[in-house]
Amino acid sequence: MDGLIAFWAESGIANFTGPQLLMMAVGALLLYLAIARGFEPLLLLPIGFGAILANIPNGGFTEEGGLLYYAYHVGIETGVFPLLIFMGVGALTDFGALIANPKMLLLGAAAQFGIFATLLGAIALNAVPGFEFSMQDAAAIAIIGGADGPTAIFLASKLAPELLGAIAVAAYSYMALVPIIQPPIMKLLTTEAERQIKMEQLREVSKLEKVIFPLAVLGLTILFLPAATPLVGMFCLGNLMRESGVVDRLSNTAQNELINIVTIFLGLAVGSKLSADKFLQLETLGILVLGAVAFGIGTATGVLMAKVMSKLSGGKINPLIGAAGVSAVPMAARVVNKVGLQANQQNFLLMHAMGPNVAGVLGSAVAAGVLLAVLGG
Amino acid sequence: MDSMAEQLMEALMIMALGMGLVFIFLTILIGAVNLVAWKFAPKPNLAPIAEASEAQVTSFPGIDPKMVAVITAAVHQYRAKA
Repeated sequence: MDGLIAFWAESGIANFTGPQLLMMAVGALLLYLAIARGFEPLLLLPIGFGAILANIPNGGFTEEGGLLYYAYHVGIETGVFPLLIFMGVGALTDFGALIANPKMLLLGAAAQFGIFATLLGAIALNAVPGFEFSMQDAAAIAIIGGADGPTAIFLASKLAPELLGAIAVAAYSYMALVPIIQPPIMKLLTTEAERQIKMEQLREVSKLEKVIFPLAVLGLTILFLPAATPLVGMFCLGNLMRESGVVDRLSNTAQNELINIVTIFLGLAVGSKLSADKFLQLETLGILVLGAVAFGIGTATGVLMAKVMSKLSGGKINPLIGAAGVSAVPMAARVVNKVGLQANQQNFLLMHAMGPNVAGVLGSAVAAGVLLAVLGG
Repeated sequence: MDSMAEQLMEALMIMALGMGLVFIFLTILIGAVNLVAWKFAPKPNLAPIAEASEAQVTSFPGIDPKMVAVITAAVHQYRAKA
């Protein structure tokens, strides 16, 4: 009989608390979104499962010695996982469209306004009772507007580790929602005639240009923004492995096996931060709202900048491609292509949108570097 | 409330600084890319290719130029995916 009581006392049923059940429901919701709705399944599935595992009473997964504890401690606290993913993203990125039309970098810069506007918004939210975001917290939240998962996780792990779970979930959820969030903003800010603008075919780019590009980016980072070197450096390493053509084995590993392995543990570790005491707070709600605002503003400023460039170039640039300036590669570029096709059946903007799209990745890495340099201390 | 105003000012400063730096950084990068392109872009090959494709288009009057545009765009899309 004693054995039975001891068993009962250790069982999940006897130990559940309300908040834990709620967080398991959040995990289940993420699993549903990943499996049934196809929202960023590569990350939301392990995050959702991690959230469930982390909230099992007496499971010990997230306590010292548990798997999730170590995954977080080794991979995220140190910033290693997001950086490895960034290397893989670099190896997956083709800068050809950007090198052919480097002015697109300005669109990638303009769309980062979403980040800094949200920084202001997060601080302003402190006026509402119940919110107390420090400048570091605000910066980590604002980077959601960069629409770049690894960058957001990297910055959050450095500036506001206690908010990491909510920030990562917001960042990846909104990236999945790009096709829903962006088109209304894009249509609101452009006229039908502007959306129909066809763009000139991009020029050919030589292999040498592609090899020099990551080195040039790295060189500039070394000179002007060393704080961004972890992100930009790993990104450029991946890209150089891809473009040099002499280390295909390494490049393939970075693009496939390595990024996949890291993604599993990154997802689990982020999920483990979705514990009831940290996630079920008013602040989480604020983060979700601010993240959506950041995305919207970034899209809007990207489109507005593209409008200005379109006017200056005498109508050679379709303003829609500005929306791809928030990174979210390649989803944002596909959205631009789709909206462009709606206006003109024969207008394929995908290649043109890839330029600002990869520029956005660089832009948000630079923005993260600035925030780290100013607030990292 | 005073500290609130101070914080907002600081956030504004970071905003101005951040956007400024992002723009300066990427503008310099534009310069760098243009410099590299000026030196290493495959210019001589481009003209004959363009001429050749134009010549092909005009030498097959049976093919609708619209169709050619569609196929070109489709090929581009396909290449972009790879």
